[in-house]
Amino acid sequence: MTDHAPQPARHAARRGDAPRAGAAARAEPYLYLLPHALLFFVFTVYPVGYGLYIGMHRWDLLSSVQSFVGLEFFRNLFVPGTPQFDFFWRTLLNTALFTVVSVPLLVAAALGLALLLQRPIFGRTFFRAVFFLPGVLTVSVMGILWRWMFDNQIGLVNAAREALTGAPPIPWLSTEGLAWVPIVVGTVWWTVGFNMTLYLAALSNVPASLYEAAALDGATPGQQFRHITWPLLAPQTLFVFITTALASFQLFGQSLVITAGGPNRSTQSVIQYITEEGFTNNQISSAAAMGFVFGLMMLIFTAAQFGLMARDVKGTS
Amino acid sequence: MSAPGTPVPGAQARPRPRPRRRFPREVPRFLLLCVLAALFLAPVYWMLSTSLKSEADAIVSPVQWWPLHPTLDNYREVLTSPDGNILRWTWNSLVVALTFTVLHVLLCALTAYPLARMRFPGRDTWFWFILSSLMIPGIVTLVPTYIMMLNFGWINSYHALIWPGVSGVFGVFLLRQFFQGIPRELEEAAKLDGASSLLIWWRIILPLSLPAVVTLAVFAFMGSWNNFLWPLYTVTDVDKMTLPVGITTFSQRYVTEYGKLMASTTLAAVPALIAYLIAQRFLEAGLSTTGLKE
Repeated sequence: MTDHAPQPARHAARRGDAPRAGAAARAEPYLYLLPHALLFFVFTVYPVGYGLYIGMHRWDLLSSVQSFVGLEFFRNLFVPGTPQFDFFWRTLLNTALFTVVSVPLLVAAALGLALLLQRPIFGRTFFRAVFFLPGVLTVSVMGILWRWMFDNQIGLVNAAREALTGAPPIPWLSTEGLAWVPIVVGTVWWTVGFNMTLYLAALSNVPASLYEAAALDGATPGQQFRHITWPLLAPQTLFVFITTALASFQLFGQSLVITAGGPNRSTQSVIQYITEEGFTNNQISSAAAMGFVFGLMMLIFTAAQFGLMARDVKGTS
Repeated sequence: MSAPGTPVPGAQARPRPRPRRRFPREVPRFLLLCVLAALFLAPVYWMLSTSLKSEADAIVSPVQWWPLHPTLDNYREVLTSPDGNILRWTWNSLVVALTFTVLHVLLCALTAYPLARMRFPGRDTWFWFILSSLMIPGIVTLVPTYIMMLNFGWINSYHALIWPGVSGVFGVFLLRQFFQGIPRELEEAAKLDGASSLLIWWRIILPLSLPAVVTLAVFAFMGSWNNFLWPLYTVTDVDKMTLPVGITTFSQRYVTEYGKLMASTTLAAVPALIAYLIAQRFLEAGLSTTGLKE
């Protein structure tokens, strides 16, 4: 599928030329693959099976014998009553809520910024850099910064609000529901430049002649967007949408650093709960089982999304 | 001479009315961009501004929009604090990210080479097998890999931060696609001169693939540098921490000392900003090429 057509013929000729095409030459490609393959088996293939094994035992870090319990830890996640059931689904819903709120914002804002910067304008390079720049900060720097911005008493957001409207400060970080605002705003600030860059690349591929023709026919900028830009960007939009949604489901650092998952676990992400269960509560097997179940959900989600993408891309092009 | 010259006056005359019409239309777009840029820079301004204030000035109400009595005390205290060492964390991050990047790029390049340019049984099967691992979410291997680190005795060591991710697969895919586009004639000529395949890989394939190699290296470095979850649990020894984790423990200790907190986040942001300024072109170019692959 990806081979160049002339390759087989060339290759046959080469093989004929070389009389040393013995066992050593035949082993050659495999020697190149070997170092990566070894590490791939140790750190990717093996851990998947090992995780399943851990999840089916009652893992005790202090003991050398681990007792087999079968699917108990997996079943716990589907039988109401255990704390694992309650917190797993609760934090999963938190994460889903974050995804539902943040993804449309991240896609729309990225497209908006890209459209603003599509045509040449004074300072374009500067603006691109400003919108992209927050993305190079680590999640902890970004988190500490936004916790300070939304500080209950003296954060910049409350200060600006008071200066403009005289309203008293809002306790963002300690109010259920409102605590999502700093997390979502911070995440948009942090990652929108990445998607903007993807959109800018896609926009540069739209032929200018289409806009010129449309302008000659008297199409308004709004009509041009609706009938030219938006349909031509559809594959890119779907790609950005899917990758952003998958990234949002991996929410961890933002809520950990900004709100520590609070108040009352209302912003705790599912990954934060899994790590808490495993590394703080020492419930290794339970955490392994949850990791597996959550991973499986992500896998189905990804497969469905990419199936959708393949269909849509085929439909538009 | 006159025939090719005639269209010129017409072509020159045409764009003339444009500047007059374009100017007013560009202004609102420019102003909007300025407002958005100001919003994006506000948190960074507030970080710098707070880091230069004394603790009393940082929390005074009404707020000080500008540091009235700027001081570098916060930076001095943060850099000499007994609770952690920002320079040490930066060094750890640098060693880990550089080692990881070199190993990762080398391994990916070695693997991508036969996958792109040799024919052998099982080639495509292996390629699709490792590629399919991209579908496995990281959370699945988190706990088992952690237990493996415990068994290897790698907790609190650079090994735990470097090895588990080195055999990543996206880089193999990226380099294989690029290697395939290199003309075969160059390789054939070197072969006639008696060059071994390893020499061809090192002297021809890698140099010609520099854009892809640099893109991969930038991504690998950024990924390792910004990694947070994994080092948070595999390194608990303060001296072995990387910058993102160290700075978080710092912030838990100084949770109400905003001046120090902002001085430490500023210091933690500096290496990333410098790296961005150096790698800016590669970063955005890399993003646009990898993102657009259909």
